[in-house]
Amino acid sequence: MTDKQWYFDPGNPSSVPPQLLPVLDEKGIPQDHIKLCFASDLNRDMIRCENYVLCTDSDIIVISGSMTLTKKVQSRLSTKNPLQRQFEVLTYDCFDLADLSGFRIEEQIASARFTAKDKDGHHVLISNLSNTYKADFNTASRYLGQLKENGEIKVDDEKRENWHDRAFCPKCGSKYIDEERKLCPKCMDKNKVIRRTGEFILKYKVSIVIMIAMLIMTGALGVISPYISSGFYYDEVLNENGQFFGAIKMVLGIIIGMRIFSLIINMFHNIVTSKIAARLVYDLKKVIFSSIERLSLSFFTNRQTGGLMTQVTRDANTIYWFFCDGVPYFLVNIVQIIAIITIMLFMNPLLTLLSLVTAPIVFIAIRLLFDHMGKYHAKRWTRSRQMNSILSDVLTGMRVVKAFSKEKDEITRFGKSSEAMAEAEKNASVFSTAAFPSVNLLFYISNLIVLGFGGWAVIQGKMTYGTLLVFTSYMNMIYSPMYSFVNMVYECTDSLNAMSRLIEIMDAKPDVVEAENPVHIAECSGKVEFKNVDFSYDKNRKVIDNVSFTVEPGEALGIVGHTGAGKSTLANLLIRLYEVDSGEIRIDDVNVKDLAMDDLRRNVAIVSQETYLFVGTILDNIRYAKPDATEEEVIEAAKIAGAHDFIIKLPDAYSTMIGFGYKDLSGGERQRVSIARALLRNPKILILDEATAAMDTETERKIQEALEKLSKGRTTITIAHRLSTLRDADKLIVIENGKVPEAGTHLELINKKGIYYNLYRLQLEAMKNIGIEE
Amino acid sequence: MAEQKKIEKTALRDVVAVLYITKDNAEFVKDNDFVAMTLTAPNDEGTMETKTYDRIFLHRAFPFDYPYAYISVLDADSKELGLIANVDDLDKEAAEMLRQELDRKYYTPVIKQILSLKDKFGFSYWKVMTDEGELSFTLRDTFQSLMKVGGTRIFVNDIDGNRYEIPNIEELDRKSFRKIELFL
Repeated sequence: MTDKQWYFDPGNPSSVPPQLLPVLDEKGIPQDHIKLCFASDLNRDMIRCENYVLCTDSDIIVISGSMTLTKKVQSRLSTKNPLQRQFEVLTYDCFDLADLSGFRIEEQIASARFTAKDKDGHHVLISNLSNTYKADFNTASRYLGQLKENGEIKVDDEKRENWHDRAFCPKCGSKYIDEERKLCPKCMDKNKVIRRTGEFILKYKVSIVIMIAMLIMTGALGVISPYISSGFYYDEVLNENGQFFGAIKMVLGIIIGMRIFSLIINMFHNIVTSKIAARLVYDLKKVIFSSIERLSLSFFTNRQTGGLMTQVTRDANTIYWFFCDGVPYFLVNIVQIIAIITIMLFMNPLLTLLSLVTAPIVFIAIRLLFDHMGKYHAKRWTRSRQMNSILSDVLTGMRVVKAFSKEKDEITRFGKSSEAMAEAEKNASVFSTAAFPSVNLLFYISNLIVLGFGGWAVIQGKMTYGTLLVFTSYMNMIYSPMYSFVNMVYECTDSLNAMSRLIEIMDAKPDVVEAENPVHIAECSGKVEFKNVDFSYDKNRKVIDNVSFTVEPGEALGIVGHTGAGKSTLANLLIRLYEVDSGEIRIDDVNVKDLAMDDLRRNVAIVSQETYLFVGTILDNIRYAKPDATEEEVIEAAKIAGAHDFIIKLPDAYSTMIGFGYKDLSGGERQRVSIARALLRNPKILILDEATAAMDTETERKIQEALEKLSKGRTTITIAHRLSTLRDADKLIVIENGKVPEAGTHLELINKKGIYYNLYRLQLEAMKNIGIEE
Repeated sequence: MAEQKKIEKTALRDVVAVLYITKDNAEFVKDNDFVAMTLTAPNDEGTMETKTYDRIFLHRAFPFDYPYAYISVLDADSKELGLIANVDDLDKEAAEMLRQELDRKYYTPVIKQILSLKDKFGFSYWKVMTDEGELSFTLRDTFQSLMKVGGTRIFVNDIDGNRYEIPNIEELDRKSFRKIELFL
């Protein structure tokens, strides 16, 4: 069933799977009455089968069933003659469309339910589905809503095309396994990956050519030297009949000369390699990093950011290894082996064949060996990863461990993991010490064959003693690279994976892109307008639902709401870290989408909940937003942000190193530094997203007073759940579940006696309880 | 010498009242395809009130340990109405109904055998035999997609957000185990 998935195409909603036609026929429903049809894999009774939801103008029909033919027959028939497949109906349900409303996809743990409400407001189950079909059904429920409301389905052509581009590979037309990661395993052929990466590597072609040339020279010397030092020496120099009988000094000279020559080449080669290695790895990392920086924030929310950077570093090294170490070494060895075999064939064809008899066996043996080895290594690696994670877990949580006196338990936990790791390590070493000598035995067998047959040939006078010596040394030269050949197979897969990841990152398109001809506003007046804004992080849950409000230039807006209501999301949308799904956000009546990115971010500064300070001095951190700011400006900004007083008390004052591994500032101090950072930018629009939440009330008030003075001619948007933070706001909006149910001034909202009033009352009561009354 | 009076310390349960739903205070019936509940419980003002919810939502508090115990009962607005300590303590009929509802909500095919597992470009492609028949699915970042619970139990989360379970990895046949072993 899953091999040939049938996907709902919103552009062609009337496409009904052929196996359903007889069923519809039987029920007297003409095919052209079907307005919508979509498939799922779980029926109304949660039985896994083929399940279809169809819709006419008046009814919703749910049919589930399965193919009764055996899989073998089915696959033979399915493509050519789909009608021959027999569809056995399991369930058939019909709902009156007029009775239903409020179509909804209810998410469950690993499946979803498509439900609606009937006339009396009771819930009705239309169909079940696994999460695979969730996106389809979301579209479906939207269309059903349209059908009910307007009597027709409006398929937005532009949207439809986008949808199609997003979900399907343009080359082969099959659905992407992952829409976020546009990678079609069918079309992603290995050659293309190597070629694309090769193009990148080609920048270093001169160095690579030099490298290969030198490797070939080393190889050639490697082929010649055994011949000179054994075959030629015995047959021509030591042999009375030889051409150069007695010229020992000459031969020694040649050998020494070749040694020195090869040493020089080797040195030179190493120098070139290390130069290019450093350069290449640096370049690769830079390319990947700059691609990453270019991407929008949503890319990072979709994968583990932590792993990303280590991945980058590892991938760069893997790719470097493949192109600069693996491939050249492989090529040279191949050339060398071909040369050796040719020479050997030339000297004695029969013995050559004999000596190569065991080569395929050795190759297969090594391959098997590595397969097993790989498993042992993987196990060891996972266990060491586990052990390290326990270790870092305990070290970071030491306070908690000690507070609950769990030291002994932690020691046992670590001990267990460490033991498992040791066990894996032991298994790996035992295996390798046993297996590798066994394979080496195979070498000796081929050596013995050559020695035996060769010796016999020498005695028979069919071959010279020198030739035999050359043969034995060549034998080793053929067999010893075998390990690296097999290894190459594995490294090859690894680097292909690394390269495909690299290409993926390089090719990933940021979804927040600057407009082609952006509008430039040097300094905006500070008017902010949200118009029917919708937004969701993933397709299914709206975080911001039809939000509209306006902030006039110079006004102070306060945003109140529960945790997770969507307050911070509003701020992120304003500075365009994410793109709205529908609606508009305007600054000075210009849609932020059309605004130049630089102008937008220069005019709007945000101090967010998560204050992030980089490793460096406090000065560097404050100056981050405006590197050319003078020291005076920095001090001024720090003063307004209330940071100056604590900074000046530090031994190194503004030059104090903070961040990872250095001095740790407290939450409130960090917030003050980041406020200073935002102020230094002197923005027209300042967003304070819980920027003062970690400070004591007194400090908060002081900063507010300073900001109040600064707010003239500046638009400030303050997000807080402590209402006292918002006491200076001209206007307040209350946000709940992504909507804005209340907006107005403090007094208006109090008189409304709604959500704000309740919040206010609660916080006031809390004050009263400790004896403070306003 | 002042007499030390021993003060009994307040237990957690004296402070927080967890409302347990039992057969004495609640009744369950089928409404369309869902479960409806009539519950008698103190309302916000503290007086007893009997109310009917025509659809309740069930949520396992400890889904991996107690599939049919410690069940949170929520209303349509996701407000918790109470906890069911153990579904089986209810009437037989109600217990059956709730068990079915829970099974459907936590629908998870159980993997019996791994037919093939290929790892390619960071995705892994699985073909498995489950109690629901043969299924195939794809994982992104295999290592991260396998969730290990209590040593031998494994949950597999695929790219679409579906979930599959291997109840005991050690009970898998040798061939299947070999395929998955590398990712554990």
